[in-house]
Amino acid sequence: MRVDVDVQQLFQSGGHDFDLNIRFSCDEDITVLFGQSGAGKSLLLKIIAGLQNVRSGKVVINDRVLFDSEKGIEIASRYRNVGYLFQDYALFPHMTVAENIGFSRRSIFSRRLKGADLDRVQELLDIFQIKDFSKKYPSEISGGQRQRVGVARALLQRPEILLLDEPFSALDPLLRIQMRAELKKIQSLFGIPILLITHDPQDVAELGQRLILIKQGLVTDSVDLCGAPYRDPLGAPVRPEIRKILWSAAGITDV
Amino acid sequence: MIPLLLSLKVAGFATIVATVAGVSIAWVAAKREFWGKEVLDAVLTLPVVLPPTVLGYYLLVLLGRRGPIGSWLESQFGINLIFTWQGAVIAASIVAFPLVYKSARSAFEGVSRQLEDASRVLGKSELQVFALVTFPLALRGILAGSMLAFARALGEFGATLMVAGSLPGKTQTLSIAVYEAVQAGHDQIANFLVIVTSIVCIVVLLASNYFLRPKYRVI
Repeated sequence: MRVDVDVQQLFQSGGHDFDLNIRFSCDEDITVLFGQSGAGKSLLLKIIAGLQNVRSGKVVINDRVLFDSEKGIEIASRYRNVGYLFQDYALFPHMTVAENIGFSRRSIFSRRLKGADLDRVQELLDIFQIKDFSKKYPSEISGGQRQRVGVARALLQRPEILLLDEPFSALDPLLRIQMRAELKKIQSLFGIPILLITHDPQDVAELGQRLILIKQGLVTDSVDLCGAPYRDPLGAPVRPEIRKILWSAAGITDV
Repeated sequence: MIPLLLSLKVAGFATIVATVAGVSIAWVAAKREFWGKEVLDAVLTLPVVLPPTVLGYYLLVLLGRRGPIGSWLESQFGINLIFTWQGAVIAASIVAFPLVYKSARSAFEGVSRQLEDASRVLGKSELQVFALVTFPLALRGILAGSMLAFARALGEFGATLMVAGSLPGKTQTLSIAVYEAVQAGHDQIANFLVIVTSIVCIVVLLASNYFLRPKYRVI
């Protein structure tokens, strides 16, 4: 699997200009896009998913061109086959857990799924250990359970890639540790590559195989985190250059 | 009882017309950007601000035999709307329209863009996004608007009188019948009609509360 992104767009809102100019490639299982709030990370995920228009550039996933301004290619969101987990999961409040997970296979006229689709929902309920809540509404379950539902819903149609927008920011610290471990397990179980954005260095240390640093709409660094021990006993990245990168991105210059 | 049945018929049709028109236009206003949107919004809200008699007069000018719409309908289809119950439906629809439009628009605007985006990414077309997510989540607001529209149409007096007149058994609705009964000194009939109207309104309100009770909570 390989992701190639090269997009440019000037965003203007209320006299405030933001120039996004992002170019990166990656082929790791889990790639972490790291940067402060407002660096353009969420915008980038929306562009990859086709939820945000851009003026010029290219988005290619697994040799499939999703967007190419020069060739006039722009595939609509619904045909891109990307899994997307929004920051607060965006579960449909009027549907049960099972209905949320089965949503992508559902038609307008029938609430119920049939055959293989139904089996697949059951399988995901099992894997994510949310079978007991399958008939509950999103407002009736906890934050961690909501996140599982969001990931399960995104995985139902076997997407090419999973885009996660700060997946752990809404969870309390203890739960974060557990959900990171779960996410790793899920990734190796399904073999679907993950592009994750965060401003939490811990996510980089625990999950990242490639780190891409975004600062004010620009990619400032792309680091291979594979194959080297990059955590000390306290969980902080140990390779000095990585520590430096993360700290400088967090606004700390004196390392 | 004939004025009551006539009122229910007129208000029922008017509610359907106002709901269909109000919901479609509200969706466009809530989810699409176009030039002159807020001017259009103001014009569409006018019927609730203008005195009903002024509105009735406009309709009379437009729909009358010599009016632009009225003369066209007459020559093309031989249809005359003035002094008919269909004319009363048009008057009531227009008076009730802003109530549906306003509540539907804010209901649509209250449906988060993120939920709609989530369904697009999950492979849904714009029609499916509307039918599966936007509309169900806005439904309570739309129904609340429709109920108000029905109540408003049921009580319609001014515009209806101007357009449809007060022909007993034909266009004399409940509220007009009450007025006529009081004018003619028929107190018993007036009392009866007033009590019937009140009961109908209470039933409508109770029914709407029942249908509008929340079934799920938005996170």
